[in-house]
Amino acid sequence: MAYVTSVGLVRVNRNYHKSPRDLAFEAASKALENVKLDTIDYVIVASSLTYLQASQFDLAAYIARELGVHVKSAFAIEAGENSGLAGAEVALNLIRSHAAERILLVGVDKLTEYISNKTYKMIQAIYDTESDAVYNVGHAGPMALLMRLYMDRYGVDRETLAHWPVMMHAHGKENPYAMLRFTVTPDKVVNAMPIAEPITLLDAYPLGDGAAAVLLSSEDQGGDHLARLSEVYSSIGFQSIALRDDPLSIEAVGQIAREAGLNPEDIDVAEIHDSFTITGILLLEELGFAPRGKAAEMVAEGAFTKGGSGPLVNASGGLKARGHPKGATGVYMLAEVAMQLAGTFPGIKADSPRKGIAVGVNAHGSSARLAFLEAL
Amino acid sequence: MVLPVWWRKRIPRYRFVGALCKECGRIHYPPRNACPYCGSRNLELIPLPRRGVLESYSIVYSVPGDNRLNAPLPIGLVRLENGVRVVAELTDVVPEKLENGIEVEAVIRRIGEDGETGTILYGVKFRPALGRK
Amino acid sequence: MANSENKQVINAGIVGWGAYIPMYRLPTREIARVWGWPEHQYKALNVSHKAVDGPDEDSTTMGYEAAYNALLRSGIDPKMIGAVFFGSESKVYAVKPSATLIAEMIGATPDTMASDLEFACRAGSEGLKASLGLVSSGMVRYALAIGSDTSQAEPGDVLEFTASSGAAAFIVGPRSESAAIVEDTYTYVTDTPDFWRRAEKPYPRHGEGFTGEPAYFTHIIGAVKGLFERTGLKPEDFDYAIFHQPNGKFPLKVAQRLGFPKEKVLPGLVTPYIGNTYNASALLGLARVLDQAKPGQRILLAPFGSGAGSDAYSLVVTDLVEERQDKAPKVDDYLARSYEIDYALYAKFRRIYVMLPRG
Repeated sequence: MAYVTSVGLVRVNRNYHKSPRDLAFEAASKALENVKLDTIDYVIVASSLTYLQASQFDLAAYIARELGVHVKSAFAIEAGENSGLAGAEVALNLIRSHAAERILLVGVDKLTEYISNKTYKMIQAIYDTESDAVYNVGHAGPMALLMRLYMDRYGVDRETLAHWPVMMHAHGKENPYAMLRFTVTPDKVVNAMPIAEPITLLDAYPLGDGAAAVLLSSEDQGGDHLARLSEVYSSIGFQSIALRDDPLSIEAVGQIAREAGLNPEDIDVAEIHDSFTITGILLLEELGFAPRGKAAEMVAEGAFTKGGSGPLVNASGGLKARGHPKGATGVYMLAEVAMQLAGTFPGIKADSPRKGIAVGVNAHGSSARLAFLEAL
Repeated sequence: MVLPVWWRKRIPRYRFVGALCKECGRIHYPPRNACPYCGSRNLELIPLPRRGVLESYSIVYSVPGDNRLNAPLPIGLVRLENGVRVVAELTDVVPEKLENGIEVEAVIRRIGEDGETGTILYGVKFRPALGRK
Repeated sequence: MANSENKQVINAGIVGWGAYIPMYRLPTREIARVWGWPEHQYKALNVSHKAVDGPDEDSTTMGYEAAYNALLRSGIDPKMIGAVFFGSESKVYAVKPSATLIAEMIGATPDTMASDLEFACRAGSEGLKASLGLVSSGMVRYALAIGSDTSQAEPGDVLEFTASSGAAAFIVGPRSESAAIVEDTYTYVTDTPDFWRRAEKPYPRHGEGFTGEPAYFTHIIGAVKGLFERTGLKPEDFDYAIFHQPNGKFPLKVAQRLGFPKEKVLPGLVTPYIGNTYNASALLGLARVLDQAKPGQRILLAPFGSGAGSDAYSLVVTDLVEERQDKAPKVDDYLARSYEIDYALYAKFRRIYVMLPRG
């Protein structure tokens, strides 16, 4: 295991005046603010778009050098939308193997660097560029195919599914780091501009920039820590939804949930990857938090919000309201769950949570990761 | 300049051939280096049936890149007659008439171009099937 | 004598045929509405709609589908095709053959010839004639001849009423395997500039009335009379007469002058419904006739291309035609598949709007 010692978050926003390096520096500085440090063993940067946009190689080294602390090594991890948790996976294992005592994990990405249609073209590459993404599927296309399939198969209507974004916005409103801090109604969601039918603008994450940093320490490090990062499970899924026997199953998530022996009753707080409403819904079911076809209903009934029968899910507002700076998202999730377990989350707080998870996927589940955290 | 990138995988796109795994018997499209199901490299190219059923579709409004010409852009998940699934753009579609379950067939269309002076990319799309086979 | 005095011995015929017409249709009245033409102008042309290529179509994709349909009807292994001719005046590349694209798509590569031909509306027919020669001489076993166009016309010019999109393709093979054998063919060519497009210009120009008598009529009548003289055939010997069809009137006029009754022309006349598909013009008429012809019937085919020239073919349908008719979509199937659009959408599809450079 590793300790989550401190965190630093930048509010997700259209941060036009800040470069990726500026954002990373800001988040990292916050994480290092109250921690006396001479040395960091590794700086791991999680990012997916920065290499394309800033055309910068050895990004992590350039970011690390500016921190004002002696850094031994630095490298970047890329796993699409799952980069943040992939970074956590590597960091945890470096610490566990005693290759490192202290690792600063920084996630950063900007989605406002280019005009939207150019950005959508870049993001399209989260899907398989040798099959599905040869076509103009955009950032939402394949997930829209799943949403329609889901609605058809389980007879769940558009209105019921709208309760997920409603919950996300209600949560995001209370989170100072969230990009979108206003509530929405189911009606607004259903009638919002279509992006890729049936996905509307209010089913989809907003385009924003952000950075989050988490300082991870080994068992031997004294001082105060926020929470324990006990394990990161990972799995690789099919390249395309077309290859699955059941297009609606995110088998990589099912796999890691089984490996983790996940018992929804035990989990108090969760941050899950809701790039689109349908992703959030499918993840709830794949994780066992809801029976197949029932997740949206349970969301509508308040099962996953404060005081609900299930875990508190996406108190941050999720990818929908807190935002989704691609590579950084997993690090935001990690920080948010750690703060919940330490009782310091600045938004809606879970009641004395003991166990929390952060679950990320890339696209439709080409890879999936589950970070398991525990309170101290 | 996307010359070799588009050129090297042209045959499966032009002739709509998939890969049959000699080990586990499953077929996938487009052909990959190893069977996505069992990992075997013992693969054989086979022509795919050109007809199938539309299992799901979406009309994409936020069309990526400089593609306003194609907006709104329909895409679909097609299950071919032999059970193999394909994600592809749809074409010759009247958006209001699209629904799950209709019969579709593979056709070759322009699927991209490298700007105004670069090469043209051709590949398979699906359209609502014409009356006869 | 360029055309020999004796009837040619052509040991080849049409083994498979195929067509393609896009689904979009622009009513000619829409063109009149936008450009301020009186209805007399387009009513005289006898064309009600023209077929419009969709945004993801071009002469290559249409030519491919027609060729694929021809392949289905022929039942042959595409690897046996030894030559592919692509006749068009709207190729997607000015330099880089479309024939190789289609040859690769069909599965004829790499052991094949492939070339793009240009002769205004008649290049498809030139390809057909060259195919007959290659097969008849034994140089290749089968040849594929395609005529395909996303026809150009300057917006606001009278040509815009008729310039449309479509393709037709023929697999030429041994006489013994043919659904229609070719008895003889005669070609009549002169340097007559009735319609042309300068290199690097997007739209053609034409001589209006000059495209009639000195061009269309002189060359078609020249070719058909040449064929009649050499073979001894007369209009009564034919069941069908298919002509190049730039509008819905000229084919009926030239038929009358040659002595063919209207009934023999109508089955092969598609322009009134879809406009003039340039290189597929007469050839789509031939495809439609083959879709319904009976063994033993004789067909006159006379394509024309500006610049100018005409071919006249005499074909005789064999017993093999009936089993092949249903093996692929028919011209009527494509005619029935129609979706009316307005001028604005047509302008978008045809890329008439001025946009910022892409890519």
